[in-house]
Order: sequence, then structure tokens, then C-alpha cells
Amino acid sequence: MPPTSPEGAAATQASPEPTFTRSIAITVRQPSKLRNLELVLLLVALGIGGTALALVQLGVNGELDPGVLWQASALGMLALGMHVALRIVARDADPFILPIATTLNALGIAMIYRIDLARGDSGWESLGIRQMVWTAIAMVIALAVIVVIRNHRVLARYRYIAMLAGIVLLLLPMLPGIGLTLNGARLWIQLGSFTFQPGEIAKIALAIFFAGYLVTARDSLSLVGRRVLGLQLPRARDLGPILIIWVAAMAVLIFQRDLGTSLLYFGLFIVMIYVSTGRLSWVLIGLGLFLGGAAVASRTLTYVEGRFAAWLDSFNPEVYDAQGGSYQLVQGLFGMAQGGLVGTGLGQGRPTITPLAESDYIITALGEELGLVGLFAILGLYLLFVARGFRIGFNGTDDFGRLLAVGLSFVVVLQVFVVVGGVTRVIPLTGLTTPFLAAGGSALVANWIIAALLLRLSDEVRHQPRLVVDE
Amino acid sequence: MSELTLLVLRIGFLILLWAFVFAIVYALRSDLFGQKVRRLPAQNGQSAASAPVVAASAAAPAAAASAAATAPIARTSAPAATADDDEPQAEPPARRLVITSGAKEGMELELGDDQLTIGRSADSGLVIRDDYTSTHHARLMLWSDQWMIQDLDSTNGTFLNGKRVSIPTPVPLNTPVSIGTTTFELRR
Repeated sequence: MPPTSPEGAAATQASPEPTFTRSIAITVRQPSKLRNLELVLLLVALGIGGTALALVQLGVNGELDPGVLWQASALGMLALGMHVALRIVARDADPFILPIATTLNALGIAMIYRIDLARGDSGWESLGIRQMVWTAIAMVIALAVIVVIRNHRVLARYRYIAMLAGIVLLLLPMLPGIGLTLNGARLWIQLGSFTFQPGEIAKIALAIFFAGYLVTARDSLSLVGRRVLGLQLPRARDLGPILIIWVAAMAVLIFQRDLGTSLLYFGLFIVMIYVSTGRLSWVLIGLGLFLGGAAVASRTLTYVEGRFAAWLDSFNPEVYDAQGGSYQLVQGLFGMAQGGLVGTGLGQGRPTITPLAESDYIITALGEELGLVGLFAILGLYLLFVARGFRIGFNGTDDFGRLLAVGLSFVVVLQVFVVVGGVTRVIPLTGLTTPFLAAGGSALVANWIIAALLLRLSDEVRHQPRLVVDE
Repeated sequence: MSELTLLVLRIGFLILLWAFVFAIVYALRSDLFGQKVRRLPAQNGQSAASAPVVAASAAAPAAAASAAATAPIARTSAPAATADDDEPQAEPPARRLVITSGAKEGMELELGDDQLTIGRSADSGLVIRDDYTSTHHARLMLWSDQWMIQDLDSTNGTFLNGKRVSIPTPVPLNTPVSIGTTTFELRR
């Protein structure tokens, strides 16, 4: 039997080898310095969260309410459980991601709970309780991601499935029956009383697809083409994928009426293509396409036009009083001005004057109650989180992992820029969620999955060979 | 709850937030401001090659100033202070491994303070996959500032400057080490 005999020979050859390797394998478990550092930082993070909740209660009611603190401590136990799980399944993972994500999440919960108190909401109707439940769900899902995905290169194998999933998730809200329009944007799906924003998960799927696609396609994107005015222009046929993504982003802009999401997807693609090819021409082409599309949209789509007017001319009484005008934006600015340098103190401001203070405008609510000092601490935490992500990408050993880490970090940084820039009138306001802070279950799940993938990628870095010589 | 208590608590909370940020930055300092440990030997090596007297005099105030320096810096500056001795043991150890022939000729990797395992298995530090390499073929170890190569009972052997290695042997700088079809050298 010819097919079996080589296998048999291989088996007899291979059989002495495992016993040999096993006899010299060193199984000393070293104490994990990284995990101990993470534990210390995580305890500080939980302390910050607990203090924030207690300060909110003292500021609003003047007394402590142990019920909510008990519920929050259950979440704290979950975060500690995640830390213990990392000790077992990802011992060499980055020690900063989990504490930073926990701190931001806890600050968000405290602020949402504070807004609930001001509005007098309680029980299942209150957003704070929902946010806590979603945090628990998101952390469990993140834990599952770390446990199930033991090697990130498995994801590269499913890059086209990821693309398909991403596009389906993006287009899901447009289906009649389950699609739901809230505040003018058709981004949600509704099943019974359960609503979800599938676009949040789509951004992870698209980051996986872009990373997988660009690893294989970057040579043709970076090396072929003519030089015009010192820029390496790509060939027309290589422009295909970028045009497809542009069309998808514009479709979101027009049919789902969401400027922020389309900016996020297109920006993600431009950054990843720039990182993988190092060609400035791609960035210029991409920016030109997006600005061109946005300029046309601002002339033709009324809601985009309104956003531009509110941005450029916020304090004009006509714009301020108009339907969908700058009332909300200006109230947010007034809130931050009221907070000043050190803020009014948690629970002592009036953030509820701004509509949607718990989601889109949570940054201005935090700015009012924690002041410029507190807001900059929060931005510093985002900076550190994203810097860790870029560092993980920089240290990565395979190109897919590098691109994925950069892409996932960029998703976070772009959202922060768009939201904070929007509420502070740096750019026109667009509806994106502030990662980890804003109320919204789907965004929390997506951001915790991003954190989990970054943890997994950073754990891989230290297990990889330094150099592979392959014949 | 008086106004004053609340004021103290809310200022305290902001301080706690910033303490957390700075704790992370402090833990990350080598990442944000670069690693001192790697850069010092390279500078010493370059200046020692051109003017060893200058290197020795420059290293002396550095060693005096670094009273609170961490252990690796103290260790690398100590050999530099005695650089005018001709003992090869006193020189700082090699920092780079350069592949001089084979499939990845010209590639190099930085050597840390840990050992580097070489072999076909994926858990090796330097993976070499060819017909001659064993699963766990050899390892490079840093013994008192000197890189040693140890053959781990490989089938086809490890060759230092053409001679088969049988016991842990010191690897001098710029000396070819052959494993299978791959040859590498240690450089500073």
C-alpha cells in the first residue's frame, strides 16, 4: 500500500524524537511580572471606578446607596476574573490594556448613572443599569475571544468571510422589518425589545479583512504604477478595492444617514493601506475622494448640510433655534465652560441640560463635572491605550498581526477624534460612540473585543521566534 | 456632607485619575523614552574602536553619575571603564547576530540578555528549517558577558569556525558559526 508506507516510515522516524525533546524541555514557571503589574493597575482602576460612583451618589443625594455599589463590585469581580484568566491563557499579554479599558468603562458607567439620578430613572429603564449589564456581557465575550482565538493567524484565513460578514452587518439595518431609525440615522436593528447596532461589530470584521487583503495585495499596490509629480500613482486596476470601499462608505452616508460611520470605515481603510504600502499617494487619493464626496453630500443631503451649518455658525440664533440646529452642540460647550479647569465635581453639575448627554455628549458631561483636568486625564488614557496598540503592531512578527493591531487601534483613535472633535467644534459633529465611555451595548461589546484581540496579539509577540530561516 | 468635604473629595479624585495615568507612563518609561541598556554598548563600541582613551574617560563620569542606575547599565559601563585592558572577557558582549550565508543572508537580529535557542521547532528563538537542522539544535547563552554556543546533541552538528562544537564554547566576535546551510556571526 503505497499511500500508507511513507506515513508509517515517518511515524517510526518521528517516534524517538518527542521523548527526546520532552526529556530536555524546561518547565520552570517563572513569576509573571507583567501580570502582577496588571493586577496592581487593575486594582487602582477599580478604585477609581468605585470612587467615581460614590462621589456621584454623594454629590446628587448627599448619602451613599450601597445597592448600586454592590452591583458595581460584581463588575469589578468580573474584571479581576478576566485578569486571572489572562494569567492562564495569555501570560505575556500587554499589562496596560485591561486596566485602561476598565477605568474608561467605569467612568462611563458612573457618568451614565449620574444622569439617571438627575432624571430620576431607576430599575431596568435606567441606562446605568443597562450599561452595567452590557459591560458584563462585553467582558464575557472578550474573555471568550481570548480563550477561543489562541492564534491570531487563524483570522487571516477567514478574511473574505470577514469581508462578507462586515458588509452584511453594515447593510442589515437597511432591511425592512428589523431596521430601526433613531435620531435620523438608520443604524440599529430591533428584535423584540432588543436593539443592536451591527455596524459596531462590522468595523472589527472589516479590520480583519483589510489586514488579510493588504498582506497579499500590497506589493501590487505599492510597487507598480507611474510617478507623477513625485507621487507614485497606482494602476487603475489596483484602484478597484479602494473604490469599492469608497462606494460602501458613501452608501452608508446616503442611505443610513450616518456621516461618522462612513468616515470611520473609509479612514480605517486609508490608514491600513498607508501602513502596509508606505505610499503617500494613497492617503491623498483617499482624502480627496472622501472630501469630494462629503462636499457633494453637504450640498445635497439636508442633514449633512445642517451639521455643517451648526459647526460653522453655532452661535447664530437662527441656527441655534433651528430644528436639528446647534442647540445641543452649544449646550455641550456651555457645560464644559461651566466646568472650567477642575469641574463642578461629580454629581454637582447640570449635564442633563444637553440632550443625549449619556451617549454622544458624554465627553461634555464629563468635561463639565471633572473639568479640563479630568478630561485631559481621560484623553491621556485613550492616548496610552492607542499607543499600546501601535506598539503591539510595531513589535509584531507577522505582517497580518501588525496590520490588524494598527487597524484596531486606529478604529479607537479615530472614534475618539471624531467624537471629541465634534463636540468641541474642531470638525462637524458626527454620530460616533466614544469608546468604552458612551452608553450603548453594541459599542461596548465591539470595543471589548478590540481590547481582547490586542491582548491576544501582544501575547503572541513574545512567544514568536525572533527570526525564521526557511528553505 | 459639607461643601468642604466634597471639594476635598473631588480634587482628590482628579489627583487619583492623574496618578493612574502617571503610574502607567512610569511603567512604560522604557517604551516611551527608549531603552538605555541597548544604546550604551553601541556607543561604547563605536568610540572604543576609534579612540579607546576617550571612551574610558567619557565612561568614568557616566559611571560616577549613575549611582542610582539600574543593574544592566552599571554592568555595561563597568567593562567600558576598564576598556584599556586587553582582556577579551572585559569587553561588552556581542549585541547582534548577523546571518552571513544561507536563505536569509544579510538578516540580523538583536541579542538580549536571555539565551537564544536555535532549531527547527517553532518555539526556538531562531528557527532554521532545512534538511540538516535538528528540532532543538543548539543554543547561545550569555555566560559572564561572553556568548557561549552549546550543541544540543544535534544530528548534523554545529560548527564554530569549521570545527564541530562538542562542549559549550565561547563564540568570539566575527567568527562564523554554521548550522545546516545557515552561517551566522556575532557582532557588536
